[in-house]
This record gives sequence, structure tokens and C-alpha cells, in this order.
Amino acid sequence: MSTTTTNGTEEARVASAGRPDAPKTVGARLRGLATGVSSSISASSALGIGLGLIALHIALALLAPLIAGHDPVATDSTAALAGSSWSHWLGTDQYGRDILSRTLHGGQYALLVTFLATTIAVSIGTVLGCITAYADNWFDEVVMRIVDALLSVPSILALLVVVTVFDSGLWVIVLAVTVVYAPAVTRVVRGAARTVITQDYVTAARARGEGSLSIVFREILPNVLDVVLVEFAMRASWIVLLISTLSFLGFGANPPTPDWGLMVQENRTALTVVPMGTLAPVVALATLVIGLNLSADGLSKTLGVDRAQKGATS
Amino acid sequence: MTTTSTNQGGAVPVTDTASAPVVVVDDLSISYAAGRREVPVVRGAGFEIAAGRALGLVGESGSGKSTVARTLLAHLRRGSRIVGGSVRVAGDDVFALDERARRALRGGTAALVAQNAGQALTPSMRVGRQLREALESHGLPGGHDRVLELVRHVRLPDPETIVRRYPHQLSGGQQQRIAIAMAVAARPQLLVLDEPTTALDVVTQSAVLELIRDLAVELDMAILLVSHDLGVVSSMADEIAVMRDGVIVEHRPTAELFADPQHEYTRELLASIPRVHLGDGDRAGESGRDARSLRGTLSGIAHAAHVRAAQVLAVARGEESAGDSGAQAAPRAGSTEPVVAEPVVAARDLVVRYGRGLPAAVDGVSLEIGRRETLAVVGESGSGKSTLATAMAGLIPAESGAFSFRGAAGLEGDLTQSVGRRSADLRRAVQLIFQNADTSLNPRRTVGAAIARPLKLFTGSSSPDRVAELLVEVGLTPDFAARLPAQLSGGQRQRVGIARALAAGPELIIADEITTALDVRVQAGVLELLTRLRDEKGLSCLFISHDLAVVRGVADRVAVMTGGRIVEVGPADRVFGGPNHPYTRTLLDATLDPGTTELPGVGDGRVRWRDADGWTDHGGGHHVKNWEAQ
Repeated sequence: MSTTTTNGTEEARVASAGRPDAPKTVGARLRGLATGVSSSISASSALGIGLGLIALHIALALLAPLIAGHDPVATDSTAALAGSSWSHWLGTDQYGRDILSRTLHGGQYALLVTFLATTIAVSIGTVLGCITAYADNWFDEVVMRIVDALLSVPSILALLVVVTVFDSGLWVIVLAVTVVYAPAVTRVVRGAARTVITQDYVTAARARGEGSLSIVFREILPNVLDVVLVEFAMRASWIVLLISTLSFLGFGANPPTPDWGLMVQENRTALTVVPMGTLAPVVALATLVIGLNLSADGLSKTLGVDRAQKGATS
Repeated sequence: MTTTSTNQGGAVPVTDTASAPVVVVDDLSISYAAGRREVPVVRGAGFEIAAGRALGLVGESGSGKSTVARTLLAHLRRGSRIVGGSVRVAGDDVFALDERARRALRGGTAALVAQNAGQALTPSMRVGRQLREALESHGLPGGHDRVLELVRHVRLPDPETIVRRYPHQLSGGQQQRIAIAMAVAARPQLLVLDEPTTALDVVTQSAVLELIRDLAVELDMAILLVSHDLGVVSSMADEIAVMRDGVIVEHRPTAELFADPQHEYTRELLASIPRVHLGDGDRAGESGRDARSLRGTLSGIAHAAHVRAAQVLAVARGEESAGDSGAQAAPRAGSTEPVVAEPVVAARDLVVRYGRGLPAAVDGVSLEIGRRETLAVVGESGSGKSTLATAMAGLIPAESGAFSFRGAAGLEGDLTQSVGRRSADLRRAVQLIFQNADTSLNPRRTVGAAIARPLKLFTGSSSPDRVAELLVEVGLTPDFAARLPAQLSGGQRQRVGIARALAAGPELIIADEITTALDVRVQAGVLELLTRLRDEKGLSCLFISHDLAVVRGVADRVAVMTGGRIVEVGPADRVFGGPNHPYTRTLLDATLDPGTTELPGVGDGRVRWRDADGWTDHGGGHHVKNWEAQ
């Protein structure tokens, strides 16, 4: 997240300015972070399994060109709709394309779009949520009414309209998903930030005359990070599903790009002949979503965030 | 307690009454599992309480006193377990009881009144229904008349109206009375009170304690009173057990304990308590001063404060006789000129309001704070004292009136402006220390960063040396700079809060209830630090507190506030000595000094005076607002 990294470096800068042995402290800080992460993983098996599944998916997507063995888009009319064999472990689809290879490659698009869209949506939502919570004036009112309006539009419908009007390019989808999901994040983060604002350290910052942005980024943001992290994992799982839905409906990835949603759509007519053509992408998608959900759950437990308490609405 | 008539003199610790004691705790040990380690929380605690008797359990936070108290209701915190010993209530081993019997015990045989009644009552249910539930859950008839009788029992006015209210529509004292009514609904043999009055102001506290005492006598209950406040305990309990680190270090009848504390820790504890009511000998004057200064550090500070106050006044009158302690400064009757010579802060008819249409939180307050002077503002919650501090810090703008700052080196500023409009110099000169050190430090920022920020903001540079210097100044070590607030104790956090305020190089410190959240011993340390730094650096100080005993130790002058107005102002000695405004009198009377074995009769705490125009000058800068009886 761009906002959090800004803040992180800021904090590191302050820390290094406050001490001569700056590199050591940054190192110590990183070590501290590492032990923090490892201790929270050991504290919650859900988080460990979830992060493991996500890491597996990312590794497979990155290594797909090396390990797949077949070109995912190369057609082979002699081996169409073949069952599993030594050369095609999961068989082939109606054009003779290797299903395993397509499944492995299919994660690339979904993961890339999910990562970009989630990052942008959560970043914007976080900054906007903190600012509106701190502003608490006409700006807050205006932003929250816009958020209300955006939240009232069904997400898939909004996406379909955007994709129909523009083309279905990567950035169009990323930005469309951002517009759909940033409002919900804004809501949640604003709720969390409002409880932080009542704390005395924010009052102390106000009393020494700090600027509004300085208060938002230095005092409020670091203290809603836990909520933001959980929000990130949670939104990511929804966005993966949304992207796949779009592809399934024919508005996402264009054929012959290997993509899970698209594969399900292409192969469902041949479900009885080569069930693997549909099952493999579904299993891949399901494990990724389960991984993301387990991470969100584990994070919220280890970070002590109860979403119900933080006023999560949607 | 009236039952002290059956006093067992001497060393016999516990009951010699005919009946068996209601509570027998025998060699109780509890440990808490933290990871793989077992941390002992209570080690070998043992005591007995007979019917109609009260035992006070005192100790600092973390001493295990609440853990012990809750075992009487067969309650253990998750992760804790009994390592040894037993707890018997009314003859039964409570931890051997099955679920049904335990439910019958809780609320039936033994009842608990928790610290915060606001949280102990269900917010979405009318109090009448909650009372009826308390009755019916123990198989008692829960008719309307019975509920009203309960409400009358705890001396709440107009029961018919009260039972129809929701908890949030009641005041803190009323909520606590309802909680007590629920506790005594089933006429338990044992009442466990866990810090029952900590959240209440002194006047309400006295009234609630009086109620508890009378109910205990009437229902012949055994009482276990857990508190960190020795004043409360000494006025209520027949015996006191002092706990430290899970061990009862001393257990003796109240009067004996105060007269002749045996254990070193008890002595330390007693010495660190600030007191309001000085003994009769003390009040007489010089001879008393020596006795007072022997009472430990705080009293020593108090002594210094009195001398200082006199000096400030002497300067104010242009009597530059610095060598003279100024104790005999002649009162100049009828003087209306400013009380202090060089006021750093001067307010005239200041009005502060939180919102349009709301009553003014600060209503026409006039005050001055002299250079190097500490003005304490006291009053109950809701008196507007914190609002005054907030306005001075510029966090809420003043509605009308004059509020000016005149610092050294010709710095002048208008304090009616909110902080955003104030000049950087003025912001630097006025610094705030917060009540709750837990929330006043950003949990994600190191102590060093918290102190470096104001340094950077106001002095332009934040060298680690300067941060270390400040940390040493407040009694910490330089290596604290790398720690996070969560790794600090409450007292250490408050010291960091003080260091942060000092970092700016202020001329005026606003200390808003800075020790309310601290244990007495820690409180004494923090107060000592504040007064020392104040004197060393020549700071002026606005000291907000509801605790008159604390104020007596640190303040040069005292202003008493109620309902947004100041009703009395004067040098600390004179305000505590009288004559007083009736409101001040009520506050003074309600304050429980440790060692007092009697509750002051404050009645129902109803206001019996009406504001009148004008002030009466009692001399020496002691002014009391006129009033008429009602």
C-alpha cells in the first residue's frame, strides 16, 4: 500500500534522525517486524495455512512458464478433449490445449488484477476514510454521501457497464473494481479511525499545532493499520471472485488468454467429457479464495480486530 | 462500622463471634498460564470474614486483590487455576460446587458490586426490569412492589420514575445504587465490593459508602471491600489486609494498622498517601508543620508549597522581602486588585460552550495564574474544570470573555483563540499533560519519537542527546527512547507525558487529572517529579484535580469550581483552613483520609445553597462567592 509505505519510511526517518546508529535500528525494526509476523503465524494456524495457500498460488503463477510443459494457448486438433495421460496430466480442452498448463497460467491474470485493484482500492479507501474521519465537517458529509451512492449500485452491474462502455483492458477493470470497492473500505476505515481520533495522543498532536495531514498520516494511520490489513485480505478474496465472474460472463480476459473464469465458461459444455477442464480452474480459484479468507480471519484474530466492533458494514 | 462495639482487641485477628465465619479462605494460591510458564498470581492468601464484619483488601493494581475477591464467587479469569488452598463461603467449598449450585451461590449467597456500574447494567433494559430479574433469578417474587421496595431500600428518590429509566439516564451514583440494589436483592450473606466507588466523585462516594454500611448492618452481611483507596477502606472495614504481589503482607484491625503499621510496604503505602485533613495540632500552625513534613515526601512538598504560596502573595503586594518566609503576610482586607503580581494567564468572565443551545460548561470564570505559581482547580465531575483546561490549551475556543497569556520575554497571546490560530511561540509556551497516559501516547511510536516530535516542532532540532536528557530529567534512563508505550508501566508513561510537555520548553503546564489513573505510590512519585521540575524550571501550572488531598500537596492557590463557576479561590492553606463556601465544605467533608474510621455524614448530597451576587473577602487573597441558604 502506497500510504502505509510512505508512513513506514517516515517513521524510519524519524527513528534514524533520532539516533546516530540509524542502519542498525532499521535492521532491528525489520527484524522486529519479521518476528512479529512469524509469531502471529505461529499464534494462528488459520493465518499460516492461508498465507501458505496464497504463497503457493503466487509461486505457481510466477513459475508457470517453467513448469507447465505446454504452451497454454497452443492448440492441437489431434488431441482435443482427451482424458488425462502422461503428456497431458489433466487432459485437454476442445481445442486440444493442455488444461494443467492453462490452469497454472490462469492464475497470473486473476492475481495481477486482484493485487492491483485491491491495493489501489484499499489505499484510496484508507486515506479517504482517515481524512473524512478527522475532518468531520462538510467534506466528510460530501464524501460519505458519494460513498452511499456508490455503495447502492450492485458491483457486478457497475463493472459490466464500465467494461461495456470502455474496453475490457487490464487498467479499465482495475479502476472499475477500485471505484466499486474503495467506498466500502472508506466506510470501514472511517469507523476505525473515529475511535482512534478520540484518543489523547491525537488531542496532543492537535494541541501542539500539527497540520491536519501530519495528524492523519503520523497519528491516525499507523493505528488503523490492523483494520486495513484485514480489509485488504478480505477485499482481495471478493475481488478474485468478481474478476473471475467477469471473465466467465465474457467481459474479462479475452480468449485465448488462459483464465480461470474463462476456462469454466469454455469447458462447462464438455463437463461430462472432460470434467477436469471445469474442475481444475474451480479448485484453483476456491483454494485461492479460501487462502485469502483464512488470512483475513487469522489476521483479524492475531491483530485483535473484531470487525463487528469496528463498524464494518459491507 | 457500628459493629465495632464488638471489637476484639489486641492481636486476635479474626472472629470470636458465636457463628461460623461466612467466608473462610485458606492458603489460597492461584496461578496464571502465560504461554508455557505458570505465573503465580496469588500465593498463600488466607482470611476469614464473619457475618456483619467487613474486611478491606488493599494493594496496587496487579497485586492480585481482585483475583482473590472474585474467587469468593467461584470466578476465575480464563487461564487461571487454583494451585492450592480452598475458598469456603457459607460452609461450601465454592470450587467444588456444580454449575447449579454455583449459580445459586452467585447473587444468592454471595453478591458482587463491580467498579463501573455503568457497565454492569444492561444498557437496553429499564432498571426496573433488571431489578425484577435479579429477584426472580433467585426464585423470589418479582412483583412491582418488591422492585419499588428495593429501590427505596437503596435510598433513591422517586422509585416510580427511577424504575422506568434506562441506565444511561441515571447518574453514576444512581447507577451504583441500582447495582447495589441488585446485589442485595436476594439478601446475600456476603457482599463483595470491587472498587465500588472509584469512578465516583467524593461526595457521591461518601453517600454510596454510607448506604453500603447501613445495608451491611441491616442485612448482617459479611463484606469484602477491595480498593486501592486506603481512605475508603479505613472508613468502611473492621480489618485490613494489605496485598502485594499476590501475598497478604499484613492483616490487622484497621485502627491498629494505621496506628502502627508493621510491614515495610504498608508503611511505604501509608506515607505516600496525600491527606486533606491535617490533625488538630497541624492546623494550629508552625508546630504542626514539622509533624506534617515527617509524613513523607508529599507532605514535604506541601510544606514547600505553602511557603511558596506565601512568597508569591508577598511579591504580589510589592513586599519584596524574599528572606521572610511570608507566613505572616498581613491580609489586606477588601483589596480588589489582582491577587498575583505578574499573571501569566488572566481570564475575565470567560465563557466556554460546547455547542449552540447547550448550557455553558465554563460560565463567567475569572482567574489568574502568577509566574511560578500553581493554581489548582478542584470540583466534582461536570463542574467544568476540565473544560477550562481544554480551553486554555486551545482545543475549544472560548465563546466570550478575555483570556490572555503574558509570558516571559514579552510573549503575549490571546488564549480565546483555538490552537490553529495561535502563534507557534504561544503554542510552545502552553503545554498539556493528559489524565490518561495510556491513551496520550501513540502506541505505534517509540518513546523517543514521541518526545522528539515536539522538540523538532518547537526547537527546530531533535537530537537524541536532548531526548536522552529529557528522559533523565523525568527520572527514566536514556534507553527508554527505543521502547514502545506498551512496554512501560502507567507511572513511566505519565513520566514520558511530562517529558513530552517539557520538550517544548513551556512556561505554563496544564496538568489535567494527571494522577487519577495511578496507584498511590506511583502517584506520589509523579507528583514529586512534577513539583520538582516546576520549581527548577520556574513554570506556572494549572493543576486540575478532583482529589483535594493531591491538591493540598502541590497547589499554591486553589480555585473551587461547580456548575461552571468558581465559588471560592484563595491560597491553599486558607481554602483548606476555612471559612469556606458550602460547596467547598461538602467536598472537604466528603474526602476520606486514610485512618478515619468514620464516614462523614454528607446526607444525600443535595445542594443546600443558592448563588448570590458578590464575593466575600476573607483576606490574604481568599475570596468566597456569596451564597444564601436554601
